[in-house]
Amino acid sequence: MDERIEHAEGARAPVIEPGYTFGTVTDKISSIVLTRPMSNGWFLGFGVAFLLTMMMLYAMAYLFVKGVGIWGVTIPIGWGFAIINFVWWIGIGHAGTLISAILLLLRQSWRNSINRFAEAMTLFAVSAAGIFPLIHVGRPWLAYWLFPYPNSMGVWPQFRSPLIWDVFAVSTYATISLLFWFVGLIPDLATLRDRSTNRGAKIIYGILAMGWRGSARHWDRYETAYLLLAGLATPLVLSVHTVVSFDFAVGIVPGWHTTIFPPYFVAGAIYSGFAMVLMLAIPIRKLYGLEDFITELHLQNAAKVMLATGLIVGYGYVIEAFMGWYSGNRYDAFTLWNRLHGPYRWEYYALLMCNIVIPQVLWIRKLRSRPIALFFVSLVVLVGMWLERFIIVVVSLHRDFLTSSWGMYYPTRWDWMTYIGTIGMFLAAMFLFVRLLPMISIFEMRTLLPEAEVKE
Amino acid sequence: MSAARANQLDTMAPPVARIIQSRSLVIGLIFAAISIIGGFLRPDEFFRGYLLAYMDWLGVTLGSMVILMIRHLTGGGWGTVIRRILGAAMRCVPLMTILFVPILFGLPRLYVWARPLDSMADKHLREHLQEITKSYLSVNGFIVRAAIYFAIWNLLSFFLTKWSREQDQPPVRDNNRFKVLSGPGLILYAFTVTFAAIDWVMSIDPSWISTIYGLVILIGQLLSAMCFAIVVERILVKYKPMSDWLKPEFVHDHGKWMLTFIMVWAYFSFSQWLIIWAGNLPDEITWYMRRLNDGWGFVGLWLVVFHFAVPFVILLSRPFKRDINRMAWLAVWMLFMRYLDLLWNIEPNFSPTFAITWADVVVSIAVGGLWMWFFFRNLNSMPLLPVHDVDANEVLEPAHG
Repeated sequence: MDERIEHAEGARAPVIEPGYTFGTVTDKISSIVLTRPMSNGWFLGFGVAFLLTMMMLYAMAYLFVKGVGIWGVTIPIGWGFAIINFVWWIGIGHAGTLISAILLLLRQSWRNSINRFAEAMTLFAVSAAGIFPLIHVGRPWLAYWLFPYPNSMGVWPQFRSPLIWDVFAVSTYATISLLFWFVGLIPDLATLRDRSTNRGAKIIYGILAMGWRGSARHWDRYETAYLLLAGLATPLVLSVHTVVSFDFAVGIVPGWHTTIFPPYFVAGAIYSGFAMVLMLAIPIRKLYGLEDFITELHLQNAAKVMLATGLIVGYGYVIEAFMGWYSGNRYDAFTLWNRLHGPYRWEYYALLMCNIVIPQVLWIRKLRSRPIALFFVSLVVLVGMWLERFIIVVVSLHRDFLTSSWGMYYPTRWDWMTYIGTIGMFLAAMFLFVRLLPMISIFEMRTLLPEAEVKE
Repeated sequence: MSAARANQLDTMAPPVARIIQSRSLVIGLIFAAISIIGGFLRPDEFFRGYLLAYMDWLGVTLGSMVILMIRHLTGGGWGTVIRRILGAAMRCVPLMTILFVPILFGLPRLYVWARPLDSMADKHLREHLQEITKSYLSVNGFIVRAAIYFAIWNLLSFFLTKWSREQDQPPVRDNNRFKVLSGPGLILYAFTVTFAAIDWVMSIDPSWISTIYGLVILIGQLLSAMCFAIVVERILVKYKPMSDWLKPEFVHDHGKWMLTFIMVWAYFSFSQWLIIWAGNLPDEITWYMRRLNDGWGFVGLWLVVFHFAVPFVILLSRPFKRDINRMAWLAVWMLFMRYLDLLWNIEPNFSPTFAITWADVVVSIAVGGLWMWFFFRNLNSMPLLPVHDVDANEVLEPAHG
């Protein structure tokens, strides 16, 4: 029904270009995995990403030998790149869950073309995020102490600490995201099993398809399970980044202790997540000729979501700055002053440019349909959101109440190697994903076709 | 569809709306008279009650404007069917502008910062106020800012109404101008209501700050407005033309919105409490100490259970959300909870122990009566649906089966 209305309005781009049938949709998506030859470009891209992953592993191995002293973290800035990158990656993951779960419940059918790879993006982003707190604890081989399990050491987690809530929030998030993604894949895995000619691929896809036959009963149960998982995943979009914001806000450090943080973090997460979705979708649709499936409508909608969430983030800045001044609290006022005039002021100005000023070009409808322009705006937003976490973590910590304990933070090459390495790992996983699994949901795309409309 | 278009009279509000309009006026005037007498006898209590009543009814007014703008941006039959109800509530902005004037006469009674600082016993507070009253919390600043908020709200209401009225006369222009105004309109609303919440409510306790406070007030306004629209649609659905238009799917969508607003309200309120509780700083926690002790704690608990938990569980039920009769009862209850939430926000500033004064009740009914009179007057002045708008087709097409 929704699509018909969209077509009727005429002016808006369709969710899927006309002229497709059930067969051609299946052919087009599955052929990317099954018949398309590996291109040199793919090998090059995967190779670079893989090398970066190796660099990350090297940096981590050296870290385990030497300890966190090789990083730039010091007192007073005990939370450096590790926490910045953790929050950045977790935030990016949120768009995938929003697209796959919330937009499903809201019956936004345009999500069907982008939900699969957005969910994959979530999984890889959460994996990258999970690395950081683990290696930041200093002795990662003892990280399981974070879980409350009966032991003879008298070690028990501090349940009033949001860091413990984080352990539960993030591990729940990873589990539900994985389940949701896998359940969504089952019918398509069966399609790949039936279509692949290679015996080894048949067996692997066959095992993963878990005996899917596509009977009416299968579909009925499948739909129920999928909706239930969507219902479970929906609160996670809010709760995970809310808990992450509590990591900061329950402390009393000026710049951290502010009540706007939960909604402001959630909006920032979705903001950066949609930027990452666009940065992935734009090259993918071009390289694999998927412009008919990921249409101008998707670019428009994703850009609008970015614009809206970016404005909420802007609201957060305004309110925080105003209250810093209005409260008359000298420490809050100093935090504001220090952001504007302190040693990290250029980072703060860059943040305002990237997150607030430049994205306002998204108000222009024409620009929202230009893939290249959108790609660069998304890149700017991702940089801006990384800077935001840098400002929150480093600039708040480096000058708090006691002047005698002020300091500066200088990331080392090991910090950068680990960070860039996780980007490599993320991209390497994405490269593998687009080759091994259908990156667009075949069966959900079929439901968008005119053929799928049931006459009452 | 064409039959409905042919006869313009079919789309006007039923006679019952006129009856409620006149009765509301009578109730409003009677209670206003009592309030005025009480206001002279016990001015302190009057102004507290007046601020409470004002914030409560302002919530329905502005919230309606916001839901209307959301509808203009997203479309959907749920919004079209209540569009003129929301519009009539929005057009109470001029009334609320006039009703703001009495607050200006009570500034020193309501706000410590408007009193002479020398008389202040608390040295810490006096020092704090000496700085902020020079730059921000001054009487002139308060009036100028209020004038800006009201100018913005009145302008938004004016244009949204004017264009909506034009849709009743064919030929109808496309709806793009509604979208062009609504996007920036929502941003303007978010900022104005935030600063209004700071000026009018948060500054009663000028040493307390919470950066999420504007959003807590904002989401409460949206909830009030949606509940009010549900109550009015329940009244109208007994008669033509609403009985032809209101489909269970639309009521279902209204229920989803209500559930969403309730959850977001709880999310904002809980976040505010948790962060302040964990920080436990003297500047901040005192606000909650007052509201969680000496009788006010029961009101707080009551809000947790009946502003969030119970309605949340009830609204999970799909049959409930599709039943306008049951939804209307819950909506009435939630409107009462909105009142109680605002009471819990405002009154403990003045009374450390739990107290509801005569004014909290009487003035709310007085303002409410006048507001309802104005609302129904607005509702009766325009058709209940802009039938020439393409969006109306979704409402006018007969229900399936």
